[in-house]
Amino acid sequence: MSLEKITDPRNMKHWLGHMETDYRYTLGIAGERFLNEIKENARIMGSKCKKCGVIYVPPRMYCEECFEKLEEWVDLGINGEVYTYTVAYLDREGKRLAEPVIYALITFGDAFGGLVHKLGEVKPEEVWIGMPVEAVFKPPYERKGSITDIKYFKPIQ
Amino acid sequence: MFGKKRVAIVGAGLTLFRRNLKETGKELAYEAAKMALDASGLELRDIQTVVMGTAPDAFDGVHMKGEYLADGAGARGKPYVRVFVGGGTGVFTPLAGWWHVASGQFDTCLVVCEEKMSSCFPHPAYAFTTIFDNILARPLGTTLIWIFALEMHRYMHKHNLKKEQIARVAVKNKKNALDHPCAQLGANITVEDVLNSEVLCWPVQRLDISPTSDGAAALVLASEDVAKKITDNPVWIDGVGWCIDSTLWTNRDLYYPDYVEYAARMAYRMAGIKNPPKEIDLAEPYDPFDYKELHHMEGLLLCRKGEAPKLTEEGVTQRDGDLPICPSGGLLGVGNPIAAAGLMKVCEVFWQLRGEAGKRQVPGDPRTGLAQAWGDLMQYGSVIILRR
Repeated sequence: MSLEKITDPRNMKHWLGHMETDYRYTLGIAGERFLNEIKENARIMGSKCKKCGVIYVPPRMYCEECFEKLEEWVDLGINGEVYTYTVAYLDREGKRLAEPVIYALITFGDAFGGLVHKLGEVKPEEVWIGMPVEAVFKPPYERKGSITDIKYFKPIQ
Repeated sequence: MFGKKRVAIVGAGLTLFRRNLKETGKELAYEAAKMALDASGLELRDIQTVVMGTAPDAFDGVHMKGEYLADGAGARGKPYVRVFVGGGTGVFTPLAGWWHVASGQFDTCLVVCEEKMSSCFPHPAYAFTTIFDNILARPLGTTLIWIFALEMHRYMHKHNLKKEQIARVAVKNKKNALDHPCAQLGANITVEDVLNSEVLCWPVQRLDISPTSDGAAALVLASEDVAKKITDNPVWIDGVGWCIDSTLWTNRDLYYPDYVEYAARMAYRMAGIKNPPKEIDLAEPYDPFDYKELHHMEGLLLCRKGEAPKLTEEGVTQRDGDLPICPSGGLLGVGNPIAAAGLMKVCEVFWQLRGEAGKRQVPGDPRTGLAQAWGDLMQYGSVIILRR
């Protein structure tokens, strides 16, 4: 058992390795329709279980409660509410961000679940849990069927 | 009795927990396994099966990490399986060991957990970026800390808690860890130190969070017949429980871990426990963040919803309090090599019930203890109840 405290791992004999693997992730049945609605129609959709009545957001292809296949889609509008939020000061590699980023979980009325996204046009100290927000979309020609087609959510004035 | 056979823990082993250890993952597994075997008085040839627990392959940077670690865990030529339920692995692994023996198939089982997070650089948190939903979360630059920050904030909001109340957990656990010979981050700190530490993702600050670590832990399990032959003080596995919630964490209330409650109820039912706060003498709930200790005390039904911060404030959860919580120093103090950290908690309960915890020994001759781990995407609960 090595007892000394090693603070710099480069001081140990080592071999530098890399596990490079790239992936192509399909959006899936429900995901493709959900993101396509954002891209083409700038609207946020949920999928509804006929049996349980539950509306899932983000929409899913099946109901996790009863295993029904979900084929009914519901327009949830673009307005939601901040359920919880955080202010991130670090990036994914642990480096300090130039400007902090506000991330929030946004819920939509009675729909089950919510979307995690950034908040914009608001300062960290102005955000509160329960705050009404609306989606701000990129212009149509910039949208490509990604969750980032929504730029951020902003407070409803 | 649920299983065919009653199962005992007869030995435990633990390596140092450190940010960077020189040993390979196999060597860490070996150190802990050997220590547990020596403590039990058994030799490797007496072990009939090995159960390994270790978290994502991406930490060690070895695909098929279970197979890679097998020889270090003493498994060559034996029936062997690696189990993995994220951060819940450390308590789930002895549960898997339990069913190997309770089924009657084996009389002895070596349980080993290992994690070498330092292989992954610049920071092992980067390995977590691929656990999130590829379509909806990753494009936003998700990090592990900010999803916990969202959960912590919701918990604070629901129960109207101040950061001060949560910071007391970090103060207690880091202080407890000063008495743990394997600990990485034992320290005397104050609530103010926590509140003044660097803000990572509000409300999570540097001192709210456990470190990344290298380390390993191990247990030797034996059937009742064998245990009674080799030791005068076996510790029995009297309750096991585990449960998973949906990976879509956006579809949970976040302030209360139902899945931990379901796992706990399963274990209490098996152990015949009706009133957990009265019947559990000490507990090691999973504490990778200070708020998680509180969250989990509530999920484990050790107190009412929202009551854990008050018990902490009143000193009930101190080592000499009525319900000692994380007497080891927990993940916040001892360190957090994911799977090994969970098993460290089971080791601690084992030592406490045998009266072998040294300076960390809780008073009052404890007879029943509980350990719990939590993981995957904030969705997994694993619970074990031990009795002397």
